[in-house]
Amino acid sequence: MLFSLIGKQMKMLIRNKQPLIILLVMPIVLITILSLALAGVMDNGAEEAIQARLVLVDESTWEKEKASIQEFLEKEGIIGPPLEALLTQIENNNPIQLLENNILASSEIEKYISVVHKKPEDLDTIRQDKEVDGILSVPPSFRLNYVKSAYFDKQIEPDLDLYLSQENEIRASIIQSVISEWQYGFTQSLALSKAGLPIEEVMGNTKKVEKVEQVLEDHEREIPSSIYYTVGMLVMFALYVPAFLAGFALQEVQWKVYDRLILAGVSSTLYTLSIFITGTLVALVQQIIMLSYGKFALKIEWIGLEGMIVIVLSYSIFVGGLAALLTTLQFRSKSDGILNAFNGFVVSIFAFLGGSFINIGDISETLANIGDFTPNGAAMTAILSIQKGEELAVIWPFMAVLYGYVSLCVLLAIVLFPRRGVTV
Amino acid sequence: MLQAINLHKKFKTKEVVRQVNMQLEAGESVGLIGPNGAGKSTTISMLSSLIMPTSGDVEWQGVSITKNPESLRKVLGIVPQEIALYPELSARENLAFFGRIYGLKGPTLNERIEEVLQKIGLTDRQKDIVKTFSGGMKRRLNIGAALLHKPSILIMDEPTVGIDPQSRAYILDTVKQLVEEGMTLLYTSHYMEEVELLCDKIYIMDQGAIIAHGTKDELKSLVSDNQTIELKAHILSTKFESALINQFPKATVRKEEDLLTVTLAKSEEPLATIFALAANNDVMITSAIVKIPTLEDVFLNLTGRALRD
Repeated sequence: MLFSLIGKQMKMLIRNKQPLIILLVMPIVLITILSLALAGVMDNGAEEAIQARLVLVDESTWEKEKASIQEFLEKEGIIGPPLEALLTQIENNNPIQLLENNILASSEIEKYISVVHKKPEDLDTIRQDKEVDGILSVPPSFRLNYVKSAYFDKQIEPDLDLYLSQENEIRASIIQSVISEWQYGFTQSLALSKAGLPIEEVMGNTKKVEKVEQVLEDHEREIPSSIYYTVGMLVMFALYVPAFLAGFALQEVQWKVYDRLILAGVSSTLYTLSIFITGTLVALVQQIIMLSYGKFALKIEWIGLEGMIVIVLSYSIFVGGLAALLTTLQFRSKSDGILNAFNGFVVSIFAFLGGSFINIGDISETLANIGDFTPNGAAMTAILSIQKGEELAVIWPFMAVLYGYVSLCVLLAIVLFPRRGVTV
Repeated sequence: MLQAINLHKKFKTKEVVRQVNMQLEAGESVGLIGPNGAGKSTTISMLSSLIMPTSGDVEWQGVSITKNPESLRKVLGIVPQEIALYPELSARENLAFFGRIYGLKGPTLNERIEEVLQKIGLTDRQKDIVKTFSGGMKRRLNIGAALLHKPSILIMDEPTVGIDPQSRAYILDTVKQLVEEGMTLLYTSHYMEEVELLCDKIYIMDQGAIIAHGTKDELKSLVSDNQTIELKAHILSTKFESALINQFPKATVRKEEDLLTVTLAKSEEPLATIFALAANNDVMITSAIVKIPTLEDVFLNLTGRALRD
């Protein structure tokens, strides 16, 4: 019965043009207009992608160095099958091989660093390219020096050249953190492998991913107008979902369909629950569509997936609770006065205080603090914090505000629902 | 048996229903007639457990439904005066939704939907969105939605309001068929002819109270001592109307455009006198019809007003 009620409410929403226009078309149009119009004011440069571009210039290929390494090993007295075995091990487990195949090619690191291979003669040109965030240059005798240093304790440092661009500090830091961890790994590798740990494990990805995340946390990301207004419109227009659902509920009473539901044994609790769930689902879908629009049309790179899921889901649950409360209030008042007041007054005030149109903190810190106690303001600040690269823990106070509102809405919806039927 | 006992409903200070007593036996078709605002809809809302009476009670099978409405609700189908449907859904989607909330599902639900669509003549239009339907089609679907769960009592509140004659005839045929199949029916209307056609027993309601009830014949016998004469003339003067009232002080005289309706005792021999009064008042009568009493006459006799005044 619950699914039938939810399905019916969904169909009513989808088949009405007005809700579709207000819940989806209007916010998307506003996001586009505001993002473009205010980009000059808000954006310090274009939205910066998080994925860093690393150019790898390897002058020390295995093919070039194999002969000299073999010669060195023979001089050290390694011949016959042990020589062949050692050569195979060096070929497969040398640090450059591991960096390229195990670390940079891994799915965890790939989303933070893209790698391009270039020849040494291109180095000058590459350094002029502002799109490049880092260049890792492997000198001609790197592998040989590594073998000498790591396997035979020769006092030769297997040096690498890492050039980092000054164009984008975060992306450069991401490259630096991964390469530093890798360098640290390969200097330690032999000692640790002697202790019985395989070299791949010693130089695994986990630490490097943690380092990248640390970089992102340490560097607060600039919020461009596209992100600001996508989030601002997303939290504001979700507030119209309850108004539509409560409006349909009042129509059900006016058309006497609600009488049919009562006669069929649909309890007030079940009916309110169906409104709550529908509100939650519609708000969730609406927010996903807007976030997707931001991603694909405005090329926004949403970060902090975990945090985003928690916030969007929590805000959707709040919208569901608000839909249940507005329905109850409408049933009590038996008119659409409450809805008109909500749509015309409450949403505007909340949108202003919550910062959907302007960053209220620029006007007054007190107002910004009050705004953070509005449900939309709390959700917006939480999302923007995550998008700045702040840690997940920062959202919990805002989630507490949201769930406080959810509890209040559900409690009032239950307490105030007319027990003796609803007639007009 | 469904029984209303001294039902009384007050909205703030206004008494809408006053001490109503009614009975519906199984398989009986009962009409509730009265003008707009007589309290019919409020009465059926109380009878169907949708609103609580201010005082009095409704009993179903001897049990008060004000305290235990569930037993009645399961077997009750209600056709409200409003089109209680979802205009954005198709006819079939509406029926499927109402069927599901009554717990029907799967093949049983589909089978039942087909039966109902056939009964209300909308099989061909089942996939169309309701808001594209004519008024008559919406009314038919409104009835269909009340029949899905096979109720044993059907309460219909003005089911033919505002529709074309063909749709009205279709609906009346459908309801008649339901009655013949044994459905217990409570039918409210201000169309006397519908109630006369469909109902065995009739309650007449005016200003919140039942002013008469009985079978059609019993009600007509209330005015059987009277005769109704309908007079048509080129110009019906007030002077002539006054002369009639003076001549027949116990008669009810009602004027509607060029028609004058005179209800008076059968014992009187009025025609010669009426024609003489017309001649004296320069009124040329073009037709004079002596009518057999109808429920309309009963209502007129009881209230002094026509049902649709």
